[in-house]
Amino acid sequence: MKPITRLLGCAAIALAMPGAVFAGKADDTVTVAFTRELDNADTYFSSARESTVFGYSVFDPLVERDPKTGEWVGNLAESFTWVDDLTLEFVLRQGVKFHNGDDFTADDVVYTYSHFSDPATGVAMPNTVAWIAGVEKLDPYKVRVKLKAPFPAALDYVESALPIYPAAYYQKVGSAGFAQKPVGTGPYAVGSIDPGRGFTLKAFDGYHAGSSKSKAAIGTVVVRSIPDVNTQIAELFSGSLDFMWNVPEDQAQKIKAKGGYTVTSAPTVRFGYISMDVSGRTGFEPFKDQRVREAVYHAIDRAAIRDAFFAPEAVLTNSVCNPMQFGCDQNVKTYDYDPEKSKALLKEAGYEKGFEVPFFAYRDRQSAEAMIQMLAEVGITANMNYLKYAALAEKVLKSEVPMSFMTWGSGSILDVSASTSKFFDGSAIDDVKNPDLTALLKTGDTTTDPAKRKEAYSKALNIIADGAYWVPLWAYTANYVMSPDLDFAPTPDEYVRFFEMNWK
Amino acid sequence: MTPPMVSPPAPVLSPRRQMLRRALRHRGLIFSSIVLGLIVLIAVFAPLLAPYDPYKQSLIARMKPPVYLGGTWKYPLGTDALGRDMLSRLIYGARVSLMIGLVSAGLSAVIGTVMGISAGYFGGRVDRFVQYLINVRLAMPVILVALATVSLLGGSMFIIMIVMGLLLWDRFAVVLRSATMQVRAMEYIEAAEMLGARQSRILWKEILPNVSSHLIVIFTLEMAHAIILEAGLSFLGLGVQPPTPSWGLMISEGKEMLLFDSWLIMIPGIALFLLVFSINMFGDGIRDVTAPEGRN
Amino acid sequence: MAALVALTVSIISFALIYMAGDPAVALAGENATPDVVAQIRAQYGYDRPLPVQYLDWLAHALRGDFGTSPYFRLPVSELIADRLEVTMILGVLGISFALLVGVPMGVLAAMRPNSLIDRAALFIAVVGQAIPSFWFGLILIVLFAVNLGWLPASGADSWKGFVLPTIVLGYYATPAIMRLTRAGMIEVLGSDYIRTARAKGVKPRKILFKHALRNAVIPVVSLAAVQMGFMLGGSIVTESVFALHGAGYLAWQSISRNDLPTMQALILIFSLFYIFFTFLADVLNAWLDPRLRK
Repeated sequence: MKPITRLLGCAAIALAMPGAVFAGKADDTVTVAFTRELDNADTYFSSARESTVFGYSVFDPLVERDPKTGEWVGNLAESFTWVDDLTLEFVLRQGVKFHNGDDFTADDVVYTYSHFSDPATGVAMPNTVAWIAGVEKLDPYKVRVKLKAPFPAALDYVESALPIYPAAYYQKVGSAGFAQKPVGTGPYAVGSIDPGRGFTLKAFDGYHAGSSKSKAAIGTVVVRSIPDVNTQIAELFSGSLDFMWNVPEDQAQKIKAKGGYTVTSAPTVRFGYISMDVSGRTGFEPFKDQRVREAVYHAIDRAAIRDAFFAPEAVLTNSVCNPMQFGCDQNVKTYDYDPEKSKALLKEAGYEKGFEVPFFAYRDRQSAEAMIQMLAEVGITANMNYLKYAALAEKVLKSEVPMSFMTWGSGSILDVSASTSKFFDGSAIDDVKNPDLTALLKTGDTTTDPAKRKEAYSKALNIIADGAYWVPLWAYTANYVMSPDLDFAPTPDEYVRFFEMNWK
Repeated sequence: MTPPMVSPPAPVLSPRRQMLRRALRHRGLIFSSIVLGLIVLIAVFAPLLAPYDPYKQSLIARMKPPVYLGGTWKYPLGTDALGRDMLSRLIYGARVSLMIGLVSAGLSAVIGTVMGISAGYFGGRVDRFVQYLINVRLAMPVILVALATVSLLGGSMFIIMIVMGLLLWDRFAVVLRSATMQVRAMEYIEAAEMLGARQSRILWKEILPNVSSHLIVIFTLEMAHAIILEAGLSFLGLGVQPPTPSWGLMISEGKEMLLFDSWLIMIPGIALFLLVFSINMFGDGIRDVTAPEGRN
Repeated sequence: MAALVALTVSIISFALIYMAGDPAVALAGENATPDVVAQIRAQYGYDRPLPVQYLDWLAHALRGDFGTSPYFRLPVSELIADRLEVTMILGVLGISFALLVGVPMGVLAAMRPNSLIDRAALFIAVVGQAIPSFWFGLILIVLFAVNLGWLPASGADSWKGFVLPTIVLGYYATPAIMRLTRAGMIEVLGSDYIRTARAKGVKPRKILFKHALRNAVIPVVSLAAVQMGFMLGGSIVTESVFALHGAGYLAWQSISRNDLPTMQALILIFSLFYIFFTFLADVLNAWLDPRLRK
């Protein structure tokens, strides 16, 4: 019996662990649930939304877009000027301190920009820093950033992809050390990080006044990774969770109906589309015929799917970009839901009996299933392949995906150069490979005159719509659920600014 | 091993009839046979029984409650998140779950039986090799390996059945190995060998029939195991592909609304439970009936 | 034998996981271009021939170095060491639960074979085996965390967070333990020396606990050790239902993001655990069973 007693001993030790910690207004701690986890607190090495949200509260960029007005305002920089098409000059704010007490100077900017734009560093999303040719210090509070080529969306990346790190500290502890104890200038300092499980933020008392961000109002933010949305809701109902984000529409409506919780939705930069292999790069022939693509477009009742699974605020889009993005012209040709016309077009194209096609998707499974059903009604047998994103991305690269329901988040960048331009760039993953289209998008990406950019993008988007290359679907909204004590206004960029949370 | 207890004397009846007699008295066996029989009938006659096409969606009739929770008789068990009739999906789902269980366990049975009987009959090096294979197989965490493989090859029903078939043979091999060893020690096998009967004939005609009761019992256990495992894979998002009406997938789909419309997981959950429960009970019953002295 | 098995498992897991997807694509993230993927592939050495990658990995693994998780950018060994604690606690609690429920049930059932208690115990065992654990877990959450509010639905912040996961993980092993205890007890109670003890007038209670249970429990202990090995591998589902960030959950997550080094290390470690516990079972058996001791 001895081994059993020993086992029981272990059990007794396990049972004697410390009791639960409860959060809430009383102890000025807001508990937030993340569905996924913070993969890396050195945010340059993460492409996940979670790390962007984390970084937004802990670090500061030089400038940022005011979420209400859309104007550029200074954060660590007091002002910026375009010296010419290839030179951005920043005047830095003085008297700003990092969480560890270091002073913020031009050296930090120079180090951060040059270190992370160096291809040898290998950041997670190289295209967000690839436009930087170099950075030079003019004086302790003035820097110039040189561009490789004219790049009008540069400031968007300055905001979203280039938080400023403390040069001396980062060089001392290295990336791994930094990921365990990150230091920034943001409204929140990092209390602790438990890799994969969550992290704790503490309000930073010394946050620099004059920043475009506000000082943190709530003392402590505890973020927990809870993968299952039901578990999150259970925690919300039992009072140990204050804030949920990206709650599916059905659940959000049920929570709303239950009463007592604040449920709001806000637009996001993410949008959905159905891709088709127009060029035959996957060896799949039918989509080479425009009539077949139009038939697909006519077969999908986008409004019905939106109404069933998404918030009414999720607008249907006419172009494969987000209407909030610069250059995303919505005034293009569309194809109404019309199954009869769809069948007629298929017949005309010689597919009277329909055809079979592998259909890939990685999220919003119910919507994907609804699309498959709608395609079946016009005779197209789309076979579902529901994969994890990594697996699907691999198949796209290997040209094994003739048709898919995809979504694109653009890294929250409000510019078509981060969306449509990435799809039809003429590379191996370009489904269309139309040189005119690629050239127009390239023009839009590298021209500085906004009017000319818009014109180029508009022409490109019209080519896509006229050719019915892909089926644009909708722009996503995100549901936020809060405990009754909490006050927070979500923004379209989905940065979830913890420092703007307040107790009622 | 304990010496078998003395069986009740029944000299008039042949062993087969004795078995039948015990079977008819075994309540668990009768109950589970009835339930299983019903499920099989439902699966076979699914197209006649189902009120709707199990794939037919109706986006304006989503998540209608079942009739016992205030729904209408139009959808007796309600509709799912895509407005598909739950009853029809449940009926067709019986086909999927049974098929997954039968094919996976069947494949495992073939692999495990070949291994177990060879090891038990030939002994020596063959036995050591089979034992080694069994140990390797046991050391591999089933769910992890299944998840990894399915995430590679995609979750088609075919692939899932093959993967599970390749993973669940261990018990067949272990049990049939020792059962074969026992049978091999019997005098009549020796006699057959002495008479120069071919090995294949001995294995096929003498050994296999004598270990078949073990085979059936393990088969039921592994069939139940495969059905539950598939449900688990579906739950983790790597099971059969939608819109296939698998019971496991139905639970996984209903999970989304667990806290609000829990009937979405209760209905397929209970169906799955009933199936697995009666398969297990059936297996227990068969064991009791074929080897009454060994009931424990 | 055990070493050979471990080696084979390491080869299988290496090959298997490598096929599970292109790790470079997973690392590159959502907005990646093909040349970025190629760069990452070279950076992490995924472009070398497989046998070279395997031997390199094994050589390091033997020294306890499983490489760096490209996802967390932390040493895999550190990551796993950190997560194993939860899984181990859960495993120990789960097996304790199974023993605490299974053994008494088995004893009760064995005292009166074919009685109502016996039948009820067997019935519960069959019922238990037929309930999918994730489904059971979800229902417990609805009942105890949401409707009654007694226990948390997730997390390992306090002992309360372990109650439901322990039940979910433990109940599945209970029937096997119950059946084995029952069988062992029936066998021992029918044996000659117990009959002798009875004839000598030893108190029934003493017979039951001192003599019978002691002997009947021997195979149960080794079964429990083996079950423990299974449990660690099987805690994936439980950990994901209850958001316990243990090694099982880490394994599942690693599969979905093709975190190759973590995945390989975990399959190997779970296998080694199983091999260890099987070995432990043999040792325990030899130690407890007087017949085998000599």
